[in-house]
Amino acid sequence: MFNNLIFIILFMLGFYALIMKTNLIKNVIGLNLMEAAVFFWVIAFSDIGGEVAIHKMGEEVTKFNDPVPQALTLTGIVIGASTAALLLTLIIELNKFSGTIDRDQLEGLND
Amino acid sequence: MNKLMKKIMISVVLTGVAFALYQNFSLMPEYQGLNEGLSNYIIKSGLNDTGSLNLITAVLYDYRAFDSLGESTVIFGAVSGIVLILSRKMLPVSSKGLSFIVKRALGIMTPFIALFGFYVITHGHLTPGGGFQGGVILAAISIIFSIVYGSAFDYRRYSPQTKTLFETGGALTFLGLGLAGILMEGAFLQNLGFLTAETGTLISAGSIPYINIGVGFKVGAGLAIIFYSMIQKTFEEDF
Amino acid sequence: MAVLEIILVIFLVFSALMAVYFDEELISIIFLSIFSLVLTALYLLHKAADVALAEAVIGAGLNTAIFMSAISQIRHGDSD
Repeated sequence: MFNNLIFIILFMLGFYALIMKTNLIKNVIGLNLMEAAVFFWVIAFSDIGGEVAIHKMGEEVTKFNDPVPQALTLTGIVIGASTAALLLTLIIELNKFSGTIDRDQLEGLND
Repeated sequence: MNKLMKKIMISVVLTGVAFALYQNFSLMPEYQGLNEGLSNYIIKSGLNDTGSLNLITAVLYDYRAFDSLGESTVIFGAVSGIVLILSRKMLPVSSKGLSFIVKRALGIMTPFIALFGFYVITHGHLTPGGGFQGGVILAAISIIFSIVYGSAFDYRRYSPQTKTLFETGGALTFLGLGLAGILMEGAFLQNLGFLTAETGTLISAGSIPYINIGVGFKVGAGLAIIFYSMIQKTFEEDF
Repeated sequence: MAVLEIILVIFLVFSALMAVYFDEELISIIFLSIFSLVLTALYLLHKAADVALAEAVIGAGLNTAIFMSAISQIRHGDSD
């Protein structure tokens, strides 16, 4: 319940930055916040109070946390970083041609 | 007036999405992943199947290794796009970097950073870590060189051609181990049984350490290329 | 344990709020880095060591460098 509330707050903050802010870099930051919210929720949801999912030599551990959601989250974090880099590259190129990174002023260039 | 209407509409959308998320969580069942199904199987027999102490590495590079191959492809696509967009003139123009003290102190620290990166890569099946994290630590060395010594130094030491070689070598290691899995064990990216040593030693867990090394070099070189491509136009005068 | 988690969550929401609130990009990026660092500690509290290492290296280290190098090349106010 607690983690669900945190997820909703972080996700809505990222969504707000994505659709309300006109600065394109702030939009990328909002996208990163939404990603981080989803990852945090997956990890917190799969936490059942066990140990880290690593065996120790000469020791039987009976209760582990689920390793599958952690592996999926690990994949997602790396992909998130590379997509953020690609988005920022596109913003840099846009800035070279238009001289601005404001969404509203970009719309004004068209008409 | 137009702007006010826009704000009101956006507030309605935000409130609606938040309410929908809240309602969604009330429908969600309790977490049941460990009592039955895939997670239970991996926890019970992951150590016997793969020989890897770290179950997350076992999932990443044995059970779901095809997933990791797709992830490497995504990174390769991002690197290709960034280099395609940002490469007009490959001029290694740079500033002189920071002061003498910072350069000397970093020169002492850099081997230890590299050692930690290699430790995280090669002990991925024994301790927390693996190819992705260690590769990013190796990429951080290139980033530090670009910031502290200037990007010309980074260009001379590890030129983009060298990084491309590392990235291709890592990807080919991954694919070659996958093909070896077809030839020897019968399925793509299956763990190679004849490489398995005693559990807990450095060279155990079949082909997982070698895949780790390949992925580490691939991710590290790819992210270093991304950063280098993004920084090298900073001090350029015209394009 | 629970007290530490509540303190970290408060810091997490605060740093996310500040990252969205400020209009200047540099301050937002610094707060995003702090956000990733607090998230690392929370992952460690939830017993996910690999994810914590990845988040510390990528979120707090690499992302900050990439964002910095992006905003250092952006020219403002040419189209006014």
